[in-house]
Amino acid sequence: MDLLDFFLRSREAERALEQARARLYRVAYAWCHNAALADDLVQETLTKALRKSSQLRDPKARDAWLFTILANCYRDHFRKQRDMDDIDEIEISHETTPESETSSAEIVSMVRAAIARLPQGQRQVVTLVDLEGFSYVEVAQILDVPIGTIMSRLCRARNAMKDILLPAMQQNPMLNRAIRRIK
Amino acid sequence: MNQEKHFSDEFLNAFVDNQIAAEEKSRAYVEIGQDEALNRQVCELRKLHDLVQLAYREPPAPPARAASGTNSRQARLRFGVAASVLLTLGIFLGSQIRMPATAPSVTAVPVPAAATQQMAKAVPPAKPARTKPAAAADATDHVATLQPTAVVPAAEPAAVPAPVIARNEIPDNTATKVLIHLARDDIDQLSQALDDIESTLKHYRETRQNARVEVVVNGKGLELVRTDTSAFAGRIQRLQREYDNLTFAACQNTIERLAREQGIIVRLLPGVITIDSGMAEIMRRQNQGWTYLQV
Repeated sequence: MDLLDFFLRSREAERALEQARARLYRVAYAWCHNAALADDLVQETLTKALRKSSQLRDPKARDAWLFTILANCYRDHFRKQRDMDDIDEIEISHETTPESETSSAEIVSMVRAAIARLPQGQRQVVTLVDLEGFSYVEVAQILDVPIGTIMSRLCRARNAMKDILLPAMQQNPMLNRAIRRIK
Repeated sequence: MNQEKHFSDEFLNAFVDNQIAAEEKSRAYVEIGQDEALNRQVCELRKLHDLVQLAYREPPAPPARAASGTNSRQARLRFGVAASVLLTLGIFLGSQIRMPATAPSVTAVPVPAAATQQMAKAVPPAKPARTKPAAAADATDHVATLQPTAVVPAAEPAAVPAPVIARNEIPDNTATKVLIHLARDDIDQLSQALDDIESTLKHYRETRQNARVEVVVNGKGLELVRTDTSAFAGRIQRLQREYDNLTFAACQNTIERLAREQGIIVRLLPGVITIDSGMAEIMRRQNQGWTYLQV
């Protein structure tokens, strides 16, 4: 029955990968704010993960392993695009600025705009910690940078977001209506 | 300013993200609790954490993918080969091994018999409209709202979302209103949180304070109120029986996400109500002057 167990385990691993798709996509989208690119990155990540699934020894580490592959795919993508740029400094565009968002009181869009303003390295850290709940040690492994760098990036990212978002939220009387619309 | 030297920004972030040792955290709790500025900083960091989650809860759907790419072809081929091998193996094993005819189905998600009985007892047969304004009736009414989720058989995919409840608010003359937010599944933390909730409620009762406590669970915190995962089901039900001013509210968005992403059909413990969105509820309650505590 070992052979049957082997096939069942492989099937289970494939199913786990498929279930991770939505979470990978959410983080990839938070990194690039481009649905098509995020989808491509997730597709590439899952293809690589399937190909290398034998390398995963501990199923409990599957999440961190998948996000490591995603981070590598993302890094490779920007390497191909801009050989000379430092990925940590790349900022992405967002259709609106945080300041203009306050007038329309769309909180979701406002937060996304604030995150889009962060340098790439900070954006990756803050989304991995806040969206996926990874520990600092896991984020350091996923992004392959020292844990001290993770802590300082997170700190700078949240300080920058705090400066943008909190005053805007306090000043905007329309915000509560926006919150009630969220579902 | 002296306190700020003790706690760097990095430390406060680690504190909020639960990345420091338990002993150090309990020491920090005391000091932060005594310093208004630090307390505000911690609250702001938690708010940012929640805002980021809110911002990406529903990212835009990816564009439709063309099915002609090399990768998808490879994936289809792999899937086809794997399916063929499994089918062949299944036929072979089927011919070799006699499986018991009464093998249980593995697709159904069983609800513990005791829980089902409790739920069946707790759910009133029919309740057209809510007429009781008293707080004491609240728990019973909350159970009534659970009926669709709690008793529908697991095999039906339509059983997933309990409709978002329409809560009639209790006349809001309470002096103390506390909202406790649970978004993690750490057993020790949850146990500690329940201890705190119980001692808080006991304190209010002993001091004859008119108080309401609402526990909002979302994300991983939902496990606390799921029949299949809760390690504290008995305790939660006992608390609800003892304190009619205590409410457990589960995030409908999380329930739907679990169904969508992991195929989990969530069944809530009796008496747990659902709310449209945990985050929106927190914002609403804060706006209504509730004290917000995150565990």
